[in-house]
Amino acid sequence: MTEVGAILPEREFRVTRQDLVRYAGVAGDFNPIHWSDRVAASVGLPGVIAHGMLTMALAARLLTDWAGDPAAVVEYGVRFARPVVVPDDDRGVAVGVGGVVKEIRDDGLVGIEVTVRVGDEKVLTQARAVVRPPSDG
Amino acid sequence: MPIEPSAAGRDYPTQAYEVSREKIREFADAIGDANPVYRDAEAARALGHAEVIAPPTFAMIPVLRGFDMLMDDLGIDYARVIHAGQRFLHVRPIRAGDQLRTTTTLDSVRSVGGNDLIGIRCEVESGSGESVCTATASLLVHEGGSDGD
Repeated sequence: MTEVGAILPEREFRVTRQDLVRYAGVAGDFNPIHWSDRVAASVGLPGVIAHGMLTMALAARLLTDWAGDPAAVVEYGVRFARPVVVPDDDRGVAVGVGGVVKEIRDDGLVGIEVTVRVGDEKVLTQARAVVRPPSDG
Repeated sequence: MPIEPSAAGRDYPTQAYEVSREKIREFADAIGDANPVYRDAEAARALGHAEVIAPPTFAMIPVLRGFDMLMDDLGIDYARVIHAGQRFLHVRPIRAGDQLRTTTTLDSVRSVGGNDLIGIRCEVESGSGESVCTATASLLVHEGGSDGD
């Protein structure tokens, strides 16, 4: 049985400029702050930043892998609190994702709080999901 | 130019989006997820799905097309836009073959520290009118003051 306080094991994802280009093309999100240092600087950003939706999608993998069935993720919401700056090198930036079960609802769905960090800084806040837990959980 | 608060409540025309297996696979590749349920109908059926399903944030593809219309209407340049928040409420997963219909509404406009914070809601339905997903977003639109910041 899934219990309140259960930990979803921490994962690390790396994001490079190439990942941003690929995501931009597939998602149809061509905002230049995700590929142009010049435009990013012109709006006061420290550099090209990742699509919030890419960071959100990476964090969702913690949930979909835990649940077993991606359709188990019923609700999922985040605030994009800090930009994820992606350097123009081969290593990119490391995004750490973890989660904890906060609530088990009467209908059996569980509320999960997701933490998403770059270094020590939370880049997503109020990252919460409602998920159908794995049947063998 | 600030956004007219009276624009809140504006609805945009429903947009059609046909979901293909190929697009789901491309999207899964772009988020680095090798899960076979996004690629292989057999793997999807093993989990009880009639077809390949899409990752939870795939809905953003049709949703973004609604955003494009809204930005156009309000005369907003994307470079001034920061995505502040996003939420999905899924009634069922998006599946390959879905003929989605997405309706976009500008829910709210408010001024925050000289910038505009707008709330957008997109209702994603199947071709038969069944609700698939509700996506709500908040976007911060910089007012492009040239104070060198």
